[in-house]
Amino acid sequence: MNKRLLIFATALVFSAFSAFSVSASAKDLRVIVHSSFDLPKPLLAKFESEAGVKLKIVKGGDSGEMLNKLILTKKAPIADVVYGIDNAQAVRAKAADIIETYDGAAAQGESKAEFAGMAVAVDYGFVTLNYDKGTVAKRGTPLPKSLEELTQPAYKKWLVVENPATSGPGYAFLLATIANMGEEKAFAWWKSMRGNGMKVAKGWTEAYYTDFSRNGGAYPIVVSYASSPAAEVFYSKEKLADSPTASLFLPGAVFRQVEGVALIKGGKQRPEAEKFLEFMRTADVQEALQTTMWMYPIQSTTKRADVMRFAPEPAKFESMAPAVIAEKGAGWISRWTKTVLK
Amino acid sequence: MKHSSRVALLLLPSAAVVLMLLLPMLRLAAEGWGGTVDWAFITIWQDDFLKWRLAWSFVQAILTCFLALVFGLPVAWVLARFDFPGRQLVLRLLMLPFVVPTLVAALGVLAIWGPQGVLSQALGIDLQDTPWLLLYGNLFFNLCLVIRAGVDALGQVNAHCVAASRSLGATPWRAFWRVEWPVIAPWLTSSLCLVFLYCFSGFGLALVLGGQRYATVEVEIYTLVAYELKLAQASSLALWMLVLTGLVALAYAYVEKRLSVSTRLQPVALRQPKTALNWLAVFGSMAVLFFFCAAPILAIVWRALLADSQAWAALLDAETQLALWNTLRFSAVALLIATVLGIAHALGTGTGRGSVAWRAAAYLPLIASPVTVAFGLLLLYPDWTASLALLIAAYAVLAYPFVTKAMTAGLGSLPDNLGQVARTLGASPLRTFSRVTLPLLSPALRRGMAFAAATALGEFAVTLFLSRPEWTTLTTLIYQRLGKPGAVNVDTAMLLACVLMLLSALVFVVIDAPEWFGKTAPKLTKS
Repeated sequence: MNKRLLIFATALVFSAFSAFSVSASAKDLRVIVHSSFDLPKPLLAKFESEAGVKLKIVKGGDSGEMLNKLILTKKAPIADVVYGIDNAQAVRAKAADIIETYDGAAAQGESKAEFAGMAVAVDYGFVTLNYDKGTVAKRGTPLPKSLEELTQPAYKKWLVVENPATSGPGYAFLLATIANMGEEKAFAWWKSMRGNGMKVAKGWTEAYYTDFSRNGGAYPIVVSYASSPAAEVFYSKEKLADSPTASLFLPGAVFRQVEGVALIKGGKQRPEAEKFLEFMRTADVQEALQTTMWMYPIQSTTKRADVMRFAPEPAKFESMAPAVIAEKGAGWISRWTKTVLK
Repeated sequence: MKHSSRVALLLLPSAAVVLMLLLPMLRLAAEGWGGTVDWAFITIWQDDFLKWRLAWSFVQAILTCFLALVFGLPVAWVLARFDFPGRQLVLRLLMLPFVVPTLVAALGVLAIWGPQGVLSQALGIDLQDTPWLLLYGNLFFNLCLVIRAGVDALGQVNAHCVAASRSLGATPWRAFWRVEWPVIAPWLTSSLCLVFLYCFSGFGLALVLGGQRYATVEVEIYTLVAYELKLAQASSLALWMLVLTGLVALAYAYVEKRLSVSTRLQPVALRQPKTALNWLAVFGSMAVLFFFCAAPILAIVWRALLADSQAWAALLDAETQLALWNTLRFSAVALLIATVLGIAHALGTGTGRGSVAWRAAAYLPLIASPVTVAFGLLLLYPDWTASLALLIAAYAVLAYPFVTKAMTAGLGSLPDNLGQVARTLGASPLRTFSRVTLPLLSPALRRGMAFAAATALGEFAVTLFLSRPEWTTLTTLIYQRLGKPGAVNVDTAMLLACVLMLLSALVFVVIDAPEWFGKTAPKLTKS
């Protein structure tokens, strides 16, 4: 073989491997997070120097996927702390015995009931409908006032939802409809929505960026989050005075999710892990997460980010006992698949 | 080659496949079945919806293969026979669709054919939620596989044979069918096999463009594992799919082996297009390429160019630079490992008895269900879960079949006597390999490496594996951006996609530059 190729290959290997040799520090705190986790680096660095550990953040997919990875690996835990577990999953996590209860200061604070002492609540958000103001105005049809109205011909091909079998917000939206209407009525509604040209996308990104009319799609209403209109302003090209989208808080179309941080059973570095739980409730983190993860801070004393005024919170929302979700969730998903897709 | 050395060569790729794919899948199945074989294994197919999904997966994959051949072969013929300005560039950019992240590709396709797309609005048609959009998306990704294989295959056709058949009165058509087709058939078969497997087990673009109703079986497995943790059912399904696709791979391997014809190399010279008909062929094939492959990419580039200053500024921040560097080094290492594994597998396979099974085995990384592998790895190697070594090994194993495929196809058409001559003249096996076999196979190897690089750069299925923020690559960064609402995020994602394509184009040019390989090849072919 040619010498140049050999030299080229050798150089590549060396340069590549040299960069891999990150010295493994004795004190690593392994934190598994969902894919939306995002906090400013200086903040994390500050925690590292104060707690005297090196943070090893591991991204475990979306929250449902992450929880299942933790359940699967409970004999040899892949992390010491988990962030991003949501209240609806708490029962499953408890049944699988993967969480170590924590009763430090943060667990005694606000919203301690959300996780019943299992996890420390960090933030919350609402899965709900967003609509594209421009397209709705152009079509001249007034916005629907109830989910029932969405089944009428005037709203044919208006709504895109995520598949609850592959998407967190899709699942939350399904739960909201059931919590509000009851199982039988809810599935009847889904059936008529299928007849009314509702589109089903795989996940939030697909729904929002390929089907939502704001981004070149055909559907002016999408299942998204109450905070999305604020993010639209925050990430807009020219500084917008108002958001191009808004939430549509219809009854039965709003689901509250609380996200928490918890100790993993069998995890190491216990004292530092506890410090991380407390850290997630500090004012700095609570303030930062609003515009990095687009959630609302659980500490009511936290200063609200200015841009969040475009993301008002709904007055009413649905929620469901985690025990019921754990018992019936999987059955609802297959029933949904049968009703909407088959 | 001696039997023992062949076994030794095969040890390496076998170990990689067993450790990275088969054991994880079986480990997950064992977890689900709880030590006993679950007989729900058989009854799983009583579900009509599942049957429908399987049938649909099959039909769309076959259709895509057919269309890819119909459109791809003429384009490949034109690229292989005519010399026209820009030909080299087209050849090198051919594989770009392969590295475009699925979602970005979907945005590109929808910018043209979507509800607010340029062409669909101009023509007044609505392709939304029709299978046509899905087939178009499949062709966008897969046409290049067939064309590239076709071009290289046509380079293996002996000019003397074509000339002889023409002077004996054969029409160009007859010469094609009786002389050229037998030579290129095995190459095309193997590339069509790849297309079939990609579409059959495909997860990405088809799903975005076709909607959830067109979901393939792999989506079902994903839900069962990642959302419901029904490991028994998921594993049964995954193993079924492995058997079904394995049978397809086996059938193809058999056909491919039977079809492979060794030829003496005397490539047909490129000619200038002269007649109007020639030029029509050139323009026609370029139009096909433009329509299926270039248009969505241009839509992405156009969108990126319209990005505002905030998005451009994001290109310079530390996160992007880290992602760029990670993409480069991960792909480089993965490519290197993939090349070694691929060559070892191809040489070990040989052409003798039992080679059909080994040929088929090369498809394993493409047909194993990614989600069961990812979850199985967690169970199998708990200490290695969030390790870079595992991640890169996964890249390499997913990429190496391309090298193997290209090399086995190349080896099949290599005349045995050249190697034998070298050996009788006293060359050692290693010397024979490096001075005769490898230079002769360099086009095939380069093609395989280019595709392997594209696979590593495009990072198929990699989102299923555990990752760390400091390992962010361009593809993961693009998905992160598209995970948040807002115009700047889309703009940045589009710009990053352009950076990824540019980087990939550079990589393809480097891999395709002939001077990296033995200079003996052209001499041998011209004498």
